[in-house]
Amino acid sequence: MKMKDCLLVNAGYAGKLFLFLFVYFILAVPSGAKVYIDITSPAFKKLPVAIFDLQGEDGEEISGIIREDLDFTGLFDCVDRASYIESASEPFNPKNWTPLGIEAVVKGTVQGGKDLRVTITLFDPFEAREILKKQYKAEKGLIRAMSHSIANDIYAALLKKPGIFRTRIAFVAEREGAKGIYIMDWDGHGIKKFGLKGTLVLTPHWSPDGTKIIYSSERGRHWSIYMLDFISMTEKKVFSSRGVNMAGDFFPDGDSFSFSSTREGTSDLYVFAIDKKRLKRLTSSYGIEVTPAVSPDGKHIALVSDRGGSPQIYIMRPNGRDIRRVTFEGNYNTSPSWASGGDMLVF
Amino acid sequence: MIIEQKVEVIESKDLEPTKYVETKVATFKDVLFDFDRYTIKEDNKPVLRAASSWLMENPDVKLLIEGHCDDRGTNEYNLALGDRRAKAVRDYLVSLGVPSSKINILSYGEEKPICMEKTVDCRARNRRAHFVILSKGE
Repeated sequence: MKMKDCLLVNAGYAGKLFLFLFVYFILAVPSGAKVYIDITSPAFKKLPVAIFDLQGEDGEEISGIIREDLDFTGLFDCVDRASYIESASEPFNPKNWTPLGIEAVVKGTVQGGKDLRVTITLFDPFEAREILKKQYKAEKGLIRAMSHSIANDIYAALLKKPGIFRTRIAFVAEREGAKGIYIMDWDGHGIKKFGLKGTLVLTPHWSPDGTKIIYSSERGRHWSIYMLDFISMTEKKVFSSRGVNMAGDFFPDGDSFSFSSTREGTSDLYVFAIDKKRLKRLTSSYGIEVTPAVSPDGKHIALVSDRGGSPQIYIMRPNGRDIRRVTFEGNYNTSPSWASGGDMLVF
Repeated sequence: MIIEQKVEVIESKDLEPTKYVETKVATFKDVLFDFDRYTIKEDNKPVLRAASSWLMENPDVKLLIEGHCDDRGTNEYNLALGDRRAKAVRDYLVSLGVPSSKINILSYGEEKPICMEKTVDCRARNRRAHFVILSKGE
């Protein structure tokens, strides 16, 4: 396997970085948790880290995945292994790392067999202590998922925020004229197709716990909303009416979801509670309203409406009140989606 | 003593709703639309008048109006737009006297283009309402 090595760090800024982090620690985190990277700071610099190949079979592959994950975020510099003074088998010694300005070191072992058993330790050379020590066990086939979990734990230990490396993406792809729903890991690995009936399948949306997706499909000249449950691997129709029914985001409660429907004329937005089978209409304008995107806290819905003459992004409350337009440039703005912090929209 | 119990059996079966299938007894030209619009243009009105007279003379058929769009914009927006186009054509036919019960509509948005190139001409052909004549199946 080709190693993906990251940039060699310029050791000159290491002292400044440390000073900066120290100040941040005093000012902003009196609770005691050290924050290694503050991405909102104008003085932000990548955090130099050393990630050893884990010792044992598959160790190189696991470490490679961890490095790729961390590297993708643009927040870390995985320091070239040629510059390591310490070897993998030697005990961790902070003095081998502080002169290089390396802020975190990962070492560990793998035991092969039917299951993979991994032990990792994350060290902080400047505080000369272990920040994270953890064991993992998984079937060999889950090596990528396990490596992503380790990367998540390292990320969380250093940033005090959850990582995204176990994220899976549902998408629609067309092959040989038939559209289908596929799922893959966030990094494009492990693409899996779900054999759903019908050739027209659109708009997959995850339930908040990641165990289900809802989507729209045209079957027998009707556009209905279906739900695929990954635990039971069953599909059921959850909403059907005349007109075009297009699945939107789930609400954080995991039971109700937003969608657009042309059942009462032009496309409007609705909420449907699956268990209670309760339908609520949110908009009733003369224009088209589509693609409801529910904010992470469930307190806002972003949508596309052409009530102003062209498709633009609007925001409203989940009951349909307080609707206001948020895009004014260009005459075709669509596909709103919330950042996980709920403070930004992409479209 | 043995009491004989009679079980009454009530037989029932679900009857299929009347099925309509596509037929080619007549064809009508597609109605074309401007980008992001659903108004019926003057040059399409003769086709619609011909279609309405034919429909009223043929009581056993139904008309399916499919609404289609070009590939610009999101799939969801285009499904809503295709629905609007199909409804605009339906409303026009109803205004000419066709009973609304004879008309079904279905939007395909941008999902079923008839022309795959990204040219002005090709996109214009995809922004259409397409007619399918349905008759009672066996």
